[in-house]
Amino acid sequence: MIFLTVGTQFPFDRLVTTIDDLFDEGVIQDDLFAQIGDSVYKPRNFAAVGSLEKKAFDDRFRQASAVISHAGMGAITMALDQNKPLLVMPRLKRYREVVNDHQAALATKFEALGHILVAQDETQLRVKVGQLRSFVPRPRQANPEIVAERIGRFLETLHAPKAV
Amino acid sequence: MRICLVASAGGHLSQLLKIVRPWQGHETFVVTTSEAVRANLQRFGTVYVVGECNREHGLRVIRVFVKCLAALWREKPDVVLSTGAAPGCICCFLGKLRGARIIWVDSITNVERPSLSGRLVRPIADLFLVQWPELAQRYRGAEYVGTIV
Repeated sequence: MIFLTVGTQFPFDRLVTTIDDLFDEGVIQDDLFAQIGDSVYKPRNFAAVGSLEKKAFDDRFRQASAVISHAGMGAITMALDQNKPLLVMPRLKRYREVVNDHQAALATKFEALGHILVAQDETQLRVKVGQLRSFVPRPRQANPEIVAERIGRFLETLHAPKAV
Repeated sequence: MRICLVASAGGHLSQLLKIVRPWQGHETFVVTTSEAVRANLQRFGTVYVVGECNREHGLRVIRVFVKCLAALWREKPDVVLSTGAAPGCICCFLGKLRGARIIWVDSITNVERPSLSGRLVRPIADLFLVQWPELAQRYRGAEYVGTIV
């Protein structure tokens, strides 16, 4: 089962429509369940809901063999935490899908690091969907502890007497 | 010391929660943007929900500004720590006016340059952390020590 999610802030018909077309073309044959937010488009080939409660969303995500989503940090972080194959298509400002193009920049960077697959547009989506099944994400080495320690050291300097 | 923890609900907040520690028992309080996350934050002290705003909604910015002002004048923080976005930026400026030290941690999502909020805060920040080494090289005063996510 593939899980398709577009987040909740803005509609993302461009992604939902293309995925639906890929069923018609026979490119996707897997079962798919979708959370499509405020998207106007109603898919013909798979079940879709507007939004999911947090627990239901987490369950769908965890049970999925692979996830397709917008390039939101929430979906990317969740996929990396679970070592889940993820294909993203960034929302773009020129289609008024998001306020700036940070999604595209971040997605490109994370794809170069081997963490996710990225389709920059509908044409690439046709190709990348085929790669999703065999894609093995590279785990990310994050280190929040180092950042927390740096902040802790800074706070200590505020404690120190002024005349040094 | 009193530390104001401020982040918009969502990715900004999840990054903030990964770096908050009981730093030598400093007191904390929280400013965030959505009621949905209030319950989860109460372990960090009083939670002020100021609502969402961004550069495209002038009126909402004013409303959020007033709520941030009320929170900071009531709590009198010595330090403001934010991971963004717009309400975090507002609290940093208000905190600075009150003489607080400012810590800004720019979100991982900003790859090519710091966020607009981050760029505004950088001149007044006492500690400005970014999550991409390239950004630390390009922006004076920006420091890279590691990534949160």
